[in-house]
Amino acid sequence: MVISPRAAASGGPARVRRCVVPSLALAAAGALLAGCGGGPAGGGGKISDGKVVLAVLNDQSGVYADVSGRGGVEAVRMAVADYKAKYGDKAVADTIEVIAADHQNKPDVANSKAQELYDRRKADVILDVPTSSAALAVANVAKNKKKVFIDIGAATTELTGKSCNKYTFHYGYNSYMLAHGTGTALTKDGAKNWYVVYPDYAFGQDMQKTFTAAVRNAGGNVVKSDPAPFPNDNFSTFLLKAPGLDPKPQVLGTMQAGGDLVNLVKQYNEYKLRDKGVGLAVGLMFITDIHSLGPDALSETRFTDFWYWNMDATNRAWADKYQAKTGKRPTAVQAGDYSAALQYLEAVQRAGTDKSDDVVKQLEGAKVNDVFARNGTIRAEDHLLTHDVYLAQVKAFKDVKEPWDYEKILKTIPAAEAFQPVDPACKL
Amino acid sequence: MILSMLARRPVPAVAGLAVALALPWLIYPPVAMDIACWALFAAAVDLLLGFTGLLSFGHAAFWGGAAYTAGLIALHTGLPFPAAVLGGALLAALLAVPIGYLSVRLRGIYFAMVTLAFAQMVYFVANQWRDVTGGENGLQGIPRELFGLDLSDPFYFYYAGLPFVLAGFFVAWRIVRSPFGRVLVSIRDNPARARALGYPVDRYKLLAFVLSAALSGVAGGLFAISHGFASLQEVYWTTSGQVVMMVVLGGIGTLWGGALGAALIVELNDRLATAGFEETGIITGAIFMLVVLVFRRGIWGTVRHLLASRAGASRAAAPEPSDNKPANSDTLSDARA
Repeated sequence: MVISPRAAASGGPARVRRCVVPSLALAAAGALLAGCGGGPAGGGGKISDGKVVLAVLNDQSGVYADVSGRGGVEAVRMAVADYKAKYGDKAVADTIEVIAADHQNKPDVANSKAQELYDRRKADVILDVPTSSAALAVANVAKNKKKVFIDIGAATTELTGKSCNKYTFHYGYNSYMLAHGTGTALTKDGAKNWYVVYPDYAFGQDMQKTFTAAVRNAGGNVVKSDPAPFPNDNFSTFLLKAPGLDPKPQVLGTMQAGGDLVNLVKQYNEYKLRDKGVGLAVGLMFITDIHSLGPDALSETRFTDFWYWNMDATNRAWADKYQAKTGKRPTAVQAGDYSAALQYLEAVQRAGTDKSDDVVKQLEGAKVNDVFARNGTIRAEDHLLTHDVYLAQVKAFKDVKEPWDYEKILKTIPAAEAFQPVDPACKL
Repeated sequence: MILSMLARRPVPAVAGLAVALALPWLIYPPVAMDIACWALFAAAVDLLLGFTGLLSFGHAAFWGGAAYTAGLIALHTGLPFPAAVLGGALLAALLAVPIGYLSVRLRGIYFAMVTLAFAQMVYFVANQWRDVTGGENGLQGIPRELFGLDLSDPFYFYYAGLPFVLAGFFVAWRIVRSPFGRVLVSIRDNPARARALGYPVDRYKLLAFVLSAALSGVAGGLFAISHGFASLQEVYWTTSGQVVMMVVLGGIGTLWGGALGAALIVELNDRLATAGFEETGIITGAIFMLVVLVFRRGIWGTVRHLLASRAGASRAAAPEPSDNKPANSDTLSDARA
């Protein structure tokens, strides 16, 4: 129906209307019919769309790309391979697809990507999702779409607190666990006075609150806590001030993460605060942070970790397999991605279907003992995985024997102590 | 009301309506809704940029402010979503009064900078007022209430939301066609002369600013309801930039061109991201440069100009931008595209 402008002009508006309107109406009706024909197919089988789709939604290019990113996707693929190897012909899910998307750490992007993954790309579960704001956005989508979401990369306790829902699980770590582990242990070891610096956004404020509570509960005192802009390059104001506070803090507790943490630690070393009697404790640190700063910059800094590749033979064996595929050692989050994917598939196997409600039932209360989680339980009340976590220390440079060999595990914090009690605000 | 538009300009109106109605059958429905929202936002900005000659770089304040307001209304009062959207539009209009009052006195880059500064203030408030806005977590879980109807399927929500977009377009079109709109064009072309003729130029500009903000508010409120989410991105300055880019791509001063720009950018972003290409800025930036360098009238404007120069060979060409008589046939080519 190409109408040349000349004809339209000479024919006048009346003729245009006569011939164009019906054809347009026809075109629209045709489109409508085509759409009707291609409506969503009703799922009759036990596995929706004939396959189980695991979607990894995380940061693939930004500040957290090293913490999970494409490595997390690879870890999920390893879980799929292990599941298939274990069950072979008996596997309920014989076709398993792993897809990935980048949420750029933005909640609005995470929100629309999650909708797209569930609706258009037929994801049965979304995994990983670092950055608390993005994770909360995905949790909301999961709730509305009634699809499973297992968060590994984000820290907020809200996922299993007031924003919890039936389809959302939190797997790995959270801000309570980090603050409680490090804050309590260091205070009990004699660091009574703390100076806390935190980035001024939701995660930092959350960490500051939980850290202060943990220090106080252990009999310590937070002399002062200062918000720093986020992101920030220059921490000299805080570092210069630290030794002069009254009473003098024994520990500078930093809640910065990623690039900010790197800046702060570098400047901490330049000001030689350790020599001035102010130790360093880090709220959230991943092995990739130690790798990029170099272990000597962080030497003997203590922090809470929830998995370390070189802790024992089991972890090491898995880390070797991972390294063979990616050339790197896995981070705790990547190991968590593996475990979460594996436990999801195990739940599908037990349920005999990938229908969300049935899988959720299988996951609730499940005991988890695998390469990632020791003495793990997925709490039925709030869907938090509790498992053993560890107080770790960065090795002195002379003790580092091979690449990525950075951590010494000081002690195990048992699962029952490591995580917060069930938040009464959580109503599944 | 749409009828009067149909009667006056039948072909483009019918074609536009047909495309708008068919859109969620042709593309992924949430993307269709995004296109509709951005199209109205672009038309609102074009009202100011194309017809009043004011380049606002702070319209994210109205889009985002309305998004938060609509979200808060829907979350806390449980009112049906149209009330939330209109509430958002109302806030945007109210917000535009002081901002407009202070900035319409300025021209060119100064106007752009001042509106940008105000929008950044709104951003700051949205970021810091955590108890209300949720800070960087945003406003989550905004319901889509409409008298108990189940609108959770984005396909149905599109048709529930579309009337707002169409009404918004109608209002914009009506404004442009009205004597008021003619005065705006004269202010754009020659403010001194308009003033000499006795028009209170600043007051006209202010009214245009407020109307544009209100329409942006309708779009922003609908966007928030559609996503079930209002985030800082909505009030961030890149949002202001994105909508100006859509207007320039589609064609400044064409009103409908912005819809084309919106469809192009949103659909392109979606296609590229789905194909795994995340650096969409490279592609959209390149297209933008191409359009600015080669087709300075924008896509719609260029097509219209080409058709006008062919069809109008026998007639004297009327260079007035809002005179889009030959647009009949280019609308059709868009409908087919």
